[in-house]
Amino acid sequence: MFNIVKFVADMDSEAAKTARESLDLAFHMSNLLDTGLDRHTLSVLIALCDMGLNPEALAAVVKELRREPVSSSLQNSSAPIAKP
Amino acid sequence: MEEEDQQKILDLVKELVNRVLSRNPQNPKPSISSNPNSPDFQNSLRYAIRILSSRLTPSIAPDAAAIAESIKRGLATQGKSSQALNFAELYNKFASKTGPGSINNKWAVLYLLKIISEDTKVAQNAPNSTLLFPNLGLNELDLSNESRGSRNFKRGEKGYDNGVLLVSKDPENLREIAFREFVNLVKEENEVSEEVLVRDVLYACQGIDGKYVKFDANVDGYALSDLIKVPRATRVLVRKLCELGWLFRKVKGYISESMDRFPAEDVGTVGQAFCAALQDELSDYYKLLAVLETQAMNPIPLVSETASSGNYLSLRRLSVWFAEPIVKMRLMAVLVDKCRVLRGGAMAGAIHLHAQHGNPLVHEFMRSLLQRVCSPLFEMVRSWVLEGELEDIFSEFFVVGQPVKAESLWREGYRLHAGMLPSFISQPLAQRILRTGKSINFLRVCCDDRGWADAATEAAAAAGTTTRRGSLGYGETDALETLVVEAAKRIDKHLLDVMYTRYKFKEHCLAIKRYLLLGQGDFVQYLMDIVGQELSEPANTISSFQLAGLLESAIRSSNAQYDDPDILDRLRVKMMPHGTGDRGWDVFSLEYDARIPLDTVFTESVMARYLRIFNFLWKLRRVEHALIGAWKTMKPNCITSHSFTKLQHVVKLQLLSTLRRCQVLWNQMNHFVTNLQYYIMFEVLEVSWSNFSNEMEVARDLDDLLAAHDKYLRSIVEKSLLGERSLSLYKSLFALFDLILRFRSHADRLYEGIYDLQARTRASSLSSQDKKQSRRQTRDKSSEVGSWLIDGRKALEQRAGEFLQNTGQELEAISKEYTVLLEGFLSQLPVQQHVDLKFLFFRLHFTEFYSRLHPGT
Repeated sequence: MFNIVKFVADMDSEAAKTARESLDLAFHMSNLLDTGLDRHTLSVLIALCDMGLNPEALAAVVKELRREPVSSSLQNSSAPIAKP
Repeated sequence: MEEEDQQKILDLVKELVNRVLSRNPQNPKPSISSNPNSPDFQNSLRYAIRILSSRLTPSIAPDAAAIAESIKRGLATQGKSSQALNFAELYNKFASKTGPGSINNKWAVLYLLKIISEDTKVAQNAPNSTLLFPNLGLNELDLSNESRGSRNFKRGEKGYDNGVLLVSKDPENLREIAFREFVNLVKEENEVSEEVLVRDVLYACQGIDGKYVKFDANVDGYALSDLIKVPRATRVLVRKLCELGWLFRKVKGYISESMDRFPAEDVGTVGQAFCAALQDELSDYYKLLAVLETQAMNPIPLVSETASSGNYLSLRRLSVWFAEPIVKMRLMAVLVDKCRVLRGGAMAGAIHLHAQHGNPLVHEFMRSLLQRVCSPLFEMVRSWVLEGELEDIFSEFFVVGQPVKAESLWREGYRLHAGMLPSFISQPLAQRILRTGKSINFLRVCCDDRGWADAATEAAAAAGTTTRRGSLGYGETDALETLVVEAAKRIDKHLLDVMYTRYKFKEHCLAIKRYLLLGQGDFVQYLMDIVGQELSEPANTISSFQLAGLLESAIRSSNAQYDDPDILDRLRVKMMPHGTGDRGWDVFSLEYDARIPLDTVFTESVMARYLRIFNFLWKLRRVEHALIGAWKTMKPNCITSHSFTKLQHVVKLQLLSTLRRCQVLWNQMNHFVTNLQYYIMFEVLEVSWSNFSNEMEVARDLDDLLAAHDKYLRSIVEKSLLGERSLSLYKSLFALFDLILRFRSHADRLYEGIYDLQARTRASSLSSQDKKQSRRQTRDKSSEVGSWLIDGRKALEQRAGEFLQNTGQELEAISKEYTVLLEGFLSQLPVQQHVDLKFLFFRLHFTEFYSRLHPGT
């Protein structure tokens, strides 16, 4: 299981605190904006963003996945993940 | 490292898919799909990875602040202003988290949130359209899913790269397609994109030719070149916006022109202030342009999906931004046009005329402009009013000074220049300003006085703290007025004090009245007595030194000797230029030397008027004196009693009638002269003097004093028949005077003859009685007497008869002439305008004697 909290566990407590506060703030903003994301999902998304993934693409994934369980329209190609 | 990252990302994605799917509200069987091994999950994961691996790049620049701003604005426009504020606060905190453990890609997080939020909104709105078909129920969802899927598939076939995710899955795509088509259309129609035009317009507004927008001398303005294909509306809009550039060029041109001219020609301090104020306005304008330019560079992240998000500034936005500057710039251009030929106060006045505007923007702008423009002018007023300094090298002030002699400094030294008087300073205020400065200069130059400085300081203190250098400004006309009033009050008071106490104005006026207007009776009487002999000589034989000596003795023997020696010192004899045949009487006059500073009041022209009055009064006195002299010879009334008893009856009768005629005529003349004299002395001089003294008391400044004195003098001139309107009256009066003087000589001759006759008759009667005695007596007498004696009584009587007859005829002629003249004079009197002359008439004609004498007239 990968999440931010674990991720920073081995860092010093100062950094952990900052990370937690950042996440809190982001979560607040997310609630304000009515995104419907829970805290855990948000932390995963933030981690992905920090990894340098395109936020637009991440947003699209969230949108798509939410709308429907994956249907047959998807072809069975699985490209390697490219770092944009 | 790479591998590790890939693995981490993969894990994270798996987690994400898991989380999202497990919370998916539309998922009918959440527990199953969250199972990582279920095919659904695998499908979703694959799908997610495909999306992520697509080369979808962010369509915006990574700018966290801009995105936050955009989100905030979005919230605000949805009417959730409190949330917007909350968000802004959160963002600030969020942005301030830096260092280890914080999120690096803040903008990405924000952007993600923004897009997801928008997507959720769209998703929430989308089912609304399906509600149009409520009977289709839940199946509709599947239906739409299917149709959507197939459409997507078709699109994929149509050549869209299947790696690209299309956001065109909902009906709104139609709108977007239309929009995109429109953009293409616009692009085809416009050779030049709007951003470029905006940049060009911004350049043009700084007076620089852009790439497409250039200054066109033919149309006298900036315009898009005709060669470039743009829609008509854009062309017009550009032309409109560039009006600002044209105006700017004009204003800028004026400023640089004035500044270039400055060292060589005199632009004037007001002109310089005006230029400086304009320059300041322009630098504000530059600031605005700079801001606009940076904004034009910065595309604002408004909407991600539309292609025409474009630059922040469009031509239309520019026209909004320019609305205010263009009003100001227009005003400035108008002012520049107006002021090109004007300077100084006239310039300030012209600008002031434009300040009367209902628009608060314009009003405020003009006010601040005027404040700058007027400051040199107000400074001039201040130093003029408080220090009497005319610091006006460019002749911009509305007070103009000219070099004059000290005596005419007050009247001619300074004057108002109406052209330079700005209209916000009223005429009375300007007069007051002029007078105050003039008073200071007068005190300094003529009175040699330093006390005014104290008065000025006092005035400045009284007017409050607003009198510091440069603190008076436009719009504070009240403050200015207070200052001027205070200063004027004190300085004028000081000036009058100096005039009254130090220079004894009142005493000198009184002295002039007493000596020049013959108010000092004993002095005049005595002078008349002693100079009479001298003045009867021809004018060219009289020495003025001798007369001066006589004047001196007249002063010494009258009460005048107790007067102030300074005053007596100024009294002189003046001989007027004389022609042939003039007697001393015609040229003699007295003169009063007023000296600085009193010569401001007693100028040459004033003294000339005094001289005229003096001549008139002197003549009147002389006539009176002559009549009194005649009376003295007539006085011994014993003539008629016994000495002529022995005369023939006829001769005796003749003698008596002649004497009687003479007496009657004298009485008539005396009545006239006495009353005239009374009138002049009491009704004219004293009354005028009393009025003058009253006005002197209340006079508040030198101008008042001058006016009072002028009025005094004029009233004397008018009432004494010396004015223009009573010229004919004056002439007949002088004819009367001459006649009376002639009468005097006749009367003198008559009495001389009579005394002679008396002596002869006594002698002859004595000779017959007591010859011895008379012989001794007559031996001493002249040979003529001897002839009388020889001729005897008869011849004597005959000669006496002839003499009396001649004299009687002459007197008769004089009497007739006198009556005619007097009637003429009296008939003219009531016609006169001046009401006081009616009193004279009344007095002369108290019993209506003359009208009864000649009922016809």
